[in-house]
Amino acid sequence: MKEEKKNPFKAMGRGFANFFKGIGRYFADFGKAVVKGDAGVKCSLLFMGAGYTFKGQWLKGIFVTLIEIAFIIMCIFYAAPNLAKFGTLGTVQREAVFDPLTMQQTVNDYDNSFLILLNSIIALFIIVCFILFYIYNIKACYELQKQKEFGQHIETNKENVKSIVGNKFHLTLLSLPTLGIILMNVIPIFVLIAIAFTNYDQNHMPPNKLLDWVGFSNFKKLFTEGMGNYFGYAFKKILGWTLTWAVLATLTTFIGGILLAMLINKKTTKLPKMWRSLFIVAIAVPQFVTLLLVRNFFGDQGIVNTICSNIGFTDWLKSIGLVSSHLNYIPFLTDPHWAKFMIVIINIWVGIPYQMLIATGVLMNIPTDQLESARIDGASKWKIFWKITMPYVLFIQGPALITDFVKNINNFNVIYLLTQDVYITPDQALANANAKEVDLLVTWLFRLTNEYYNYKMASVIGIIVFIICAVFTIISFSKLIAGDREEEYQ
Amino acid sequence: MKKKFLALAMATTLVAGCLTGCGKDEKKNDSSSSSGTTGSNSGVNQEAVDNLISATEGTVSLTVWASEEDQDFTQGLIDDFKKEYPDITFDIKLGACSEADAKDTVLTDIEAAADVFTFADDQMNELVNAGALQEVVSTYTYDVKAETLAGAVEAASMDGKLYAYPMTADNGYFLYYDKSVFSDSDVETLDKMLEVAGAAGKQVAMEVSGAWYNYSFFKGAGYDVTLNDDGVTNSCTWNADGATDVAQAIIDIGKSSAFVNANDADIVTGVTEGKIAAAVSGTWNADTIKAAWGDNYAATKLPTYTVAGKQVQMASFSGYKLIGVNSHSKNVGWAMILAEFLTNEENQVARFNARSLGPANANAAASSDVQSNPAIAALAKQADYAVPQRVGGNYWEPANTLGLTLISGNPDGTDLQTLLDNAVEGITAPVQ
Repeated sequence: MKEEKKNPFKAMGRGFANFFKGIGRYFADFGKAVVKGDAGVKCSLLFMGAGYTFKGQWLKGIFVTLIEIAFIIMCIFYAAPNLAKFGTLGTVQREAVFDPLTMQQTVNDYDNSFLILLNSIIALFIIVCFILFYIYNIKACYELQKQKEFGQHIETNKENVKSIVGNKFHLTLLSLPTLGIILMNVIPIFVLIAIAFTNYDQNHMPPNKLLDWVGFSNFKKLFTEGMGNYFGYAFKKILGWTLTWAVLATLTTFIGGILLAMLINKKTTKLPKMWRSLFIVAIAVPQFVTLLLVRNFFGDQGIVNTICSNIGFTDWLKSIGLVSSHLNYIPFLTDPHWAKFMIVIINIWVGIPYQMLIATGVLMNIPTDQLESARIDGASKWKIFWKITMPYVLFIQGPALITDFVKNINNFNVIYLLTQDVYITPDQALANANAKEVDLLVTWLFRLTNEYYNYKMASVIGIIVFIICAVFTIISFSKLIAGDREEEYQ
Repeated sequence: MKKKFLALAMATTLVAGCLTGCGKDEKKNDSSSSSGTTGSNSGVNQEAVDNLISATEGTVSLTVWASEEDQDFTQGLIDDFKKEYPDITFDIKLGACSEADAKDTVLTDIEAAADVFTFADDQMNELVNAGALQEVVSTYTYDVKAETLAGAVEAASMDGKLYAYPMTADNGYFLYYDKSVFSDSDVETLDKMLEVAGAAGKQVAMEVSGAWYNYSFFKGAGYDVTLNDDGVTNSCTWNADGATDVAQAIIDIGKSSAFVNANDADIVTGVTEGKIAAAVSGTWNADTIKAAWGDNYAATKLPTYTVAGKQVQMASFSGYKLIGVNSHSKNVGWAMILAEFLTNEENQVARFNARSLGPANANAAASSDVQSNPAIAALAKQADYAVPQRVGGNYWEPANTLGLTLISGNPDGTDLQTLLDNAVEGITAPVQ
């Protein structure tokens, strides 16, 4: 057991093996139900409600059969026409003829590739769900048959209805949220994945143009360089900065938040409530307002530059070589190195209040007996901080740190609002891929879709971001939140 | 909604919560049969309008998008339009959408976009390429091609086909200067301007790191970037023989301490603070600059600059604001008539009076009122050296970077020809 926990990959491997075994068992059970089932079970292969009706549960039987009929209607009128075109994503391009005399427009019966794609994915999803339901149904009928064979009580129609708000109420309650998650999260992700394999870009914009499948060529473009393809180069650079940024942003705000909380919590600090409130005010102002204002403050001709140049700070920076000599301002947000530095600094300012709030709560709960005994034993403040406070805070906030890290990988606001319209990349190769040094994968993705309509490359990047975030989350969660961690802390 | 939802889904990958994307019914056939009548295909065609009026049943729903600043004015015009056709029940909704990024909103979901929308002419090729614009095959209440400035018609056309109704002709850039610092002859050459500004402790500002502006240097010296027939990719001669002289000229300009590479916001700040005494900008800053300089406020065409010892006139992108009709509109006919109404001579004059926007209508533009507006007069002077903006999306980032590198004095010391070759490679790159 111990060893397994040390190696998350091994655990994952075992998980996969169990998963496939489970699938095997699932279908074996289905086969058994079909073979050993009585006439009712066999009839429900065709009419899904038959199994229930034969056993007296006609209400359930009718309901299930209605679902089956609805599914068949859906297949004929919705799934079939869309899925028929799924292979080609449509072949008839939109053509409109305007009659200048009647001022009416005649449009041909065109294919909207995007709708075909979207509807096909929804249809496929429904079909898979139905197949699962179908298998479940046969098994349930077989269970019912077994119950009858063993002479157990079989629920009446009334009891069936009652159970919906009774012992099966959790299913009733969860059905709506589940549907919401499927509509809003699962299906969009599948659509996103599908688009990564099409040529959806500026030259192919539905509804007026058709889309085509292009296989893995978009992925190839992102991972290779040369031949007028700059995506590979830009991807490497941006991925590097994204990870650097996520680590820096998470650590600086985390440590800063703890230090600030400790400072305010100190017994010698006067008016702790006032200080705390002041920092919380920073949260109360919408972040994008703060960031846009800060962007203007730090503009090349902005107020901070005016002050710096008036007090001679700009010249001093020039003399030590931090600002190149031909500039008469500090390129806070326009030079690659300065901009990265400033983004991290500004993020500390924006992010610390949140961390301070969390840290305050955690610090207040540190067992005082430990701190006291350490003090009696003569441990220095520094030692107490590193040996007691930090381990405790890390233990409590570990999971939150991972969430923060993933959130920072996708920290769109800070980067985009601070650099959009201000930052121009000096690297021609990056510019050719519509990227900038300060871009995160997610801001690059956003600008690719929003400014260049390059949905296909954006989808590929989206998938990569998803994989990166998923891998980090899985690995660190399996390491950090293992079951017996509490004892380890002690 | 559908594509907006997709874009969101992409941007938020893991983060939950976006819009639902229910497919909505597609109307495949918008035509309702109506008897054809004969009539002239250009200019006024009252007969067709009468036909349309008699063929229209029920309420005509239209959505109009105009910029935030134009809301009140446009609403007034819409009310007038309703009075113009009292027999028809209109349901016209007015929405706010900046001309500068109309294409982003429209192309996100063409079917959900407004029937009639305003946009800047630099978005023409992308809108046409995506099939979002209804071609103006015929006009009904006034002859757009005949009554509008030739440049504006060119800007509203692609491959000789008219796709939009010109609304204003004031979206280009020119030179603002402070008369207390520069004389009229000073502003003829950039060299002289920098000399005078340097002596007066003031600055001359232009956003050379912006592709929209730095085009001025290359085009002026005869090096061009043009849109290919596919409507998406570019051809570019910025790395041709002798172009390195232009690059060197920009580097030299950047070396002058009196020159500042400043973006729009910084120009406004600089002018207000009194640091900047001359700036290359457009009519959108006219009020601010006028307020800062008062009686010394003046404007003229761009100056000349020195390329390999010779004076070269700086060129520019001309800029027009246009009104387009959505090709997916359910009421194309009425949308076209409304677009004509919003851009006819009377209303262009009204727009100038109410909002100081320079008309694209030839008669309106020739009026003495319009001509006496310094900013619009300066644009008219620059018009001889201005060309409509016809460049594909890949122009911007590489040209931004090239401008930045040059105006910063080429910090890495890259060979100029290599620098230009790299930029041109990016500008002419196919859509990837």
